[in-house]
Amino acid sequence: MSKPSNSTLTASAVFFTFSIVFNPAIAALDDDLSLEDLTRAEISSVSRRSQSLSNVPAAAFIISADDIRRSGALALPDVLRMVPGIQVARIDSGRYAVSARGFNGRFANKLQVLIDGRSIYDPFFSGTIWEHDPIPLEDIERIEVIRGAGAAMWGVNAVNGVINIISRHSRTQTGGMLASTLGSNGQGQVYARAGASLDADTSWKISVQGRHAEPSKQAANDERSEDRLNNSVVDFRFDKALAAGSDLSIWANAGHSSLGDLYPLTPNLLNPAVLLPITVAQKTSTQTLGARYRWLTDRGVESSLQASLGNASAGLENAFEESHTRFDIDYQGRFTIADHDLLWGASHRTVSDEVWSRYVVDIAKGEFTQHTSGIFLHDNWTLIPERLQLGFGARWDYTNLGGGTVSPNATLMWTPTRTDTLWAKYSRAPRMPARAEYDVSIYTGYQPPNLALPFPFNLPVVFRAQPGSKKLHQETMEGVELGYRSQLAQQFGIDLSVYRYRYSDIVSSTLGSQSVLVYNPFVMLAVQNLDRCNCGNGWLNGAELSVDSIISTAWRLQLSYTWTQVDMDASSNPIANAQGRNTERATPRHAVSLRSQWNLSSRQQFDAWIRGSSGSYRTLSPYTTETRVPGYMTLDLRYAYKLTNDLELAVTGRDLVGPRRVEFVTDYVPATPVVIAPAVLVSARWKF
Amino acid sequence: MFRAFGPGSTRRLCRWITAALLTVASFAFAQPDSEPQIEAAYLVNFMKYVEWPATTRVTTTICLFGRDTLGPSLAGYEGRSVGGKELIIRRANSPDDMQHCQLVFIPDVEEARIGAVLRWVAGMPVLVVSDTDGFARMGGGIELVRNGGRVQFIVNNDALARAGLKPGSQMLRLAQRVIGGER
Repeated sequence: MSKPSNSTLTASAVFFTFSIVFNPAIAALDDDLSLEDLTRAEISSVSRRSQSLSNVPAAAFIISADDIRRSGALALPDVLRMVPGIQVARIDSGRYAVSARGFNGRFANKLQVLIDGRSIYDPFFSGTIWEHDPIPLEDIERIEVIRGAGAAMWGVNAVNGVINIISRHSRTQTGGMLASTLGSNGQGQVYARAGASLDADTSWKISVQGRHAEPSKQAANDERSEDRLNNSVVDFRFDKALAAGSDLSIWANAGHSSLGDLYPLTPNLLNPAVLLPITVAQKTSTQTLGARYRWLTDRGVESSLQASLGNASAGLENAFEESHTRFDIDYQGRFTIADHDLLWGASHRTVSDEVWSRYVVDIAKGEFTQHTSGIFLHDNWTLIPERLQLGFGARWDYTNLGGGTVSPNATLMWTPTRTDTLWAKYSRAPRMPARAEYDVSIYTGYQPPNLALPFPFNLPVVFRAQPGSKKLHQETMEGVELGYRSQLAQQFGIDLSVYRYRYSDIVSSTLGSQSVLVYNPFVMLAVQNLDRCNCGNGWLNGAELSVDSIISTAWRLQLSYTWTQVDMDASSNPIANAQGRNTERATPRHAVSLRSQWNLSSRQQFDAWIRGSSGSYRTLSPYTTETRVPGYMTLDLRYAYKLTNDLELAVTGRDLVGPRRVEFVTDYVPATPVVIAPAVLVSARWKF
Repeated sequence: MFRAFGPGSTRRLCRWITAALLTVASFAFAQPDSEPQIEAAYLVNFMKYVEWPATTRVTTTICLFGRDTLGPSLAGYEGRSVGGKELIIRRANSPDDMQHCQLVFIPDVEEARIGAVLRWVAGMPVLVVSDTDGFARMGGGIELVRNGGRVQFIVNNDALARAGLKPGSQMLRLAQRVIGGER
């Protein structure tokens, strides 16, 4: 492939400019299109609906139900790969690492995830358990992803981003549906749904989904790993419109996931350089019941009261079991008067957990009840109608685990024309360390013996992360963002954002005491404790671009590009310093995604998706040395054929090109890297 | 081409993508008929087919409520003459803004606020249009519905009557459905 010269680029840029200036089609379409013509006009079905966000002062991206279906993805994280600024890496057949704006990890802790306003962020591990299917993809209306701090509205932990999943209203899901997918590597998925309208104002739906994948191959030796996946989820929704603009919704959701793994944990007498893997069976489950009531007062105050009750458990067979029940209640109000759009709210959450463990994990308190309460107030103040809007607000939270936090934020949005928006945002967001960080001791690292040294320095060393002598407190992010969004023409929009964030008091470690552990009469290990401390500090810089272009009535291209740079402060504490360097090197600098959606005819779709990421260096737990995770560029293809309006068949190819690769290696939790293999999937959707 | 990409190949890739997009974008401008454009054209047409109470105004205003999803598609109509009046497009976010509007459009992403907006305009000669599913049944004036590859509309005659608006007979004939009795 020859490289396009700068002159090619210049030529296309000039051509581009000319076509904007001289093309009359930029003006409104078909002035004299009558109502009758409009009812007959065939619309380009690749066009997106309601997704222009020209007047939102944040780095926002919307994934529509159509985008989800056309991605061919079976798991939620694979859908998120199209969003600039969201890093998604697959670990094995079910596990993913997902983060917004850097700091990715198996439990990336700075991203808040909500389904219809209910958080699915795990309060114990401080992160989202992605191997679990929280809701069938078919039941999602849209996903709104907001990069950057959302703490002023959504509370602690919404530090680098918020993913808002909005489920479909049951009145749009009446009737029945069956969908199933079969693919290589023993992948399969079955979805079934039933729903009905009881009367003009009342409807319900229930859906069930099962998903399975056979184990992947280990990267080291091509042998089967143990990551067999079995997921199931059932989701119920009931909606009733009441008088005077009020409505009631009730949700019930239950899910279960079982996924094996190989943890390299057993010391090996014959070859002390490596640990022998043990097979673990991981099971997680959740049950949630929730309701929301929205009403309107005579004075025009819009209110929403939502409450949910649930329990969840996560366990490793014979080694670890964590379960908790939680209760959430959340009120939000909104009142618009004169130039002010006021939003306020209050919420409370109680989580009671119970933890049992042996072997690698130790927990100080087996039971704990955490209470978190918060209030917020926000005002969007229109300074100049149509042109300038100032937003400011703050949220205050208190938790009995870590104390009080304040999260302020301010935005300024300027819309010089109907199609251009410039915005700036300042925010400060806290992350409360999770229960696991406060109370858990865990063996995290293994350094093979150095036989050149005398006893006891020649012993293998295991590292043990544990609570430090000083109690942890909140991590804080403070930063600014700038954004520009423009609809250059009806079919061509761009969205650019840049940011610079400062992080203080990130949870890191310091060298603690040492001891000797007698594993058995033949194996002795030196134990090096690492005491957790709020001793990491650093900068995060980044830029994100997304370009959306409808090229013809049948063809749409969407490009996303992400640039991320972590710059941690040097520290006199050698462990925090080393962890800072690891964090810097663990973040891929570039990520790109180019999606093409092409409607071959009204019945046929052909989609292609090129996506890639540059490489990174990560510590493969439990070892302490860095391994390289190479960059990649790969391709997904999908062809769908609509036999009738209600029956669609599709063939999807995922990860089709590029060398065999490992996409991620996890630190903290030991794991055996597996190969992300190409996959071909055949699926059918039938509505009746 | 699909080797793991280092700094050199990244630059090359970026340049290719930029060149491709620019070229492709140049052709893009000639193509009409995306869903927002059709919806925008509908709004302008409703201004012609609906009769508002007599007034001395020389302008007629389409207000876009909340998140602006049609603004770019409507920009081209701004300042045109519709039914002898100059068309104005503006954003509207508060009850006070409503007095300037003849037509208010609520995008489906603002579904949660439909009740509030309908309350704000109650008793005013304002036509409320939305592409939210079920909008006409909720008491909205006109609902834009996607039907296969087309956008059609449902008229709630009672809601229009309450606002003192008279839909033209041709409009009622073209509607996919009319809720409420004939006047």
